[in-house]
Amino acid sequence: MTNPSEMPVGDTPSDRLKLYETMVRIRELETGIESLHYGGRMHGSFHSSMGQEAAAAGVIGCLRPTDLVTSTHRGHGHAIAKGMRPTTIIAELLGLQQGSSGGKGGSMHLHDVACGFLGENAIVAGGVPWAAGAAWASRRLGKDLVAVSFVGDGGVAQGVLAETLRMARTWGTPLLVACENNHLAHSMPVERTFGEPGSIAGWAAGFGMRAEYVAGDDVFAVHRMAAEMIDEVRATGRAAFVEIEAWRVRAHSLNDPDYRYLAKDLGKSYLQTHDPIANAERDLPLTEADATAIRERIAREIAEAIDAAFEGQAAPVRSATTGVYSEAFEQEGRLRGW
Amino acid sequence: MAGELKYAEAIRRALADELATDPAVVVMGQEIEALGGVFTATQGLAERFEGRVLDTPLAESATVGWAIGAAMAGLRPVVEIMFMDFITTAMDQIVNGAAKLRYMSGGQVAVPIVIRTPSDAGTGHGPQHSQHLETWFAHVPGLVVAMPSTVADAYWMLRHSIQDDNPVVFVESKYLYFRESGEIGATGAADHPYAARIARSGRSVTIVTAGRMVAESLAAAESLATEGIDCEVVDLRFIWPYDREALTESVERTNRLIVVHEAVGDFGWGGEVCSWAASELFYSLDAPIRRLAAPRAPIPFASHLESVIVPDRSAIESAVRDLARH
Repeated sequence: MTNPSEMPVGDTPSDRLKLYETMVRIRELETGIESLHYGGRMHGSFHSSMGQEAAAAGVIGCLRPTDLVTSTHRGHGHAIAKGMRPTTIIAELLGLQQGSSGGKGGSMHLHDVACGFLGENAIVAGGVPWAAGAAWASRRLGKDLVAVSFVGDGGVAQGVLAETLRMARTWGTPLLVACENNHLAHSMPVERTFGEPGSIAGWAAGFGMRAEYVAGDDVFAVHRMAAEMIDEVRATGRAAFVEIEAWRVRAHSLNDPDYRYLAKDLGKSYLQTHDPIANAERDLPLTEADATAIRERIAREIAEAIDAAFEGQAAPVRSATTGVYSEAFEQEGRLRGW
Repeated sequence: MAGELKYAEAIRRALADELATDPAVVVMGQEIEALGGVFTATQGLAERFEGRVLDTPLAESATVGWAIGAAMAGLRPVVEIMFMDFITTAMDQIVNGAAKLRYMSGGQVAVPIVIRTPSDAGTGHGPQHSQHLETWFAHVPGLVVAMPSTVADAYWMLRHSIQDDNPVVFVESKYLYFRESGEIGATGAADHPYAARIARSGRSVTIVTAGRMVAESLAAAESLATEGIDCEVVDLRFIWPYDREALTESVERTNRLIVVHEAVGDFGWGGEVCSWAASELFYSLDAPIRRLAAPRAPIPFASHLESVIVPDRSAIESAVRDLARH
């Protein structure tokens, strides 16, 4: 019998509300991180997933806690949806000992194995074979799990994605590749590389696997599509591919001069027309008062997580050069002067 | 002779024994299942260990990435890259994935994979099938780089590498696969897993080398012995970590050091060893440290051209003779 807590989010009203809340949590986290940067309280690189919340919430909302996820450089939303604690994320972004990687990874290297989050990967499409291999190995070890690997439209140009899809077809692995087509590979419009939305799914279909397109401003549509595909992946052990059209509201990264290649305020206009959170409020439906109450509750939760993260300590200096190899290896090295 | 194996057979025996003892071991690569490996290293293993010795598509990057994921999920994959030159197509997964995952996950994951790959000139394979690239991997934190020169080391170092919790780039000698014979013995010879091996004791000059160049250095040493030059040949076995204790002890005996490798000399691992020795063993040295390695050129096809590039026993002899005059 399956433990009810391990059942994925279904399609009841409370399940639908959970998807909405996950999106709000991601949005609040991303805006919170932005504020920390603008306030000079956080340093380093940051790629906001604002506007893409439906892909994270909708797809990962279909997974069980034991299922696996790999992600991209723009992966805070995936981490949150898979169950990573906001405090751990913020602590990592602050370079603190309490961070998920003890401050060694930062924004583009969130990992939480306990949650089944096998990591972001800042090398575009680099995490796809990890997910494929981890799901394949887990099946061999008798675990009934699937993996989802997120990739962007930019990542579809990478050879390793094509290689992995080919190998997935050759060997079989319970993998869903979720491609967030946010229209821009940094400054390169997707229309120049692949064409209209849906063309990436068409490309993936050429590998002989099921490949679908879904609009990513509707979390419930994403969730329905992903649930059906993940069920199939779980049942057959064969890989599948879903292209989720999304909108990159912010610049590529925090310091990207995107005004050089985008009309000013384009992000804002995306949100006016394609905001998955506003759309979910309309479709649930939620009254304005209810929506505000939820948003405020989650905003407080994130603010508390940020405060809690600031209680942490700087990662110890000696950790900079340890944990590169296994403990046994490093002990031997200290003994023998490597 | 009873119990003698070829180098390639020792590799196969190590794979078979690891597959037999550890159910987490899987072997993946190109032409290793149906064909048994282009150098026969996996011959018969697919039949004996059903579903655990697997042909991949010609996709090195996905293969290594797949192995990384499998390792994170609890397996110990061994990947064969058919020729070391082909490893370039998997560089990102090795360097940004396997090597860094333990560190960038704050120790949440380990990546116990072995990437076996043959190198060496001398087999007429030309510029894209012969180059020694071990220096690249020795330069990357997180990786172990093994380079066995004997049948026993091919066997024991591979078994150890498969059980190592760190990713290992295991550089085999394709020149020695069918030329080198020996016994594997009951245990590995080394004091500790990453120890160097004194292949020949001597008092005049320390020759530090690894892989196929060990045999060339030993041959040179025999010839030089007739001239009264008594060489100590140190087989490093591992390029990283390299055994500094053994180097220190040897140079304290001989007071002269030369590093010999088949990889290109410029920025090669010999430079690292020389730099370390110059800093740490300066007062034990009676002569400048020497390096003998390939010049800055790819490995040419024609044998007479190839011999210009790859150090051989006579080149080693003349370099050592020169060093011994100091």
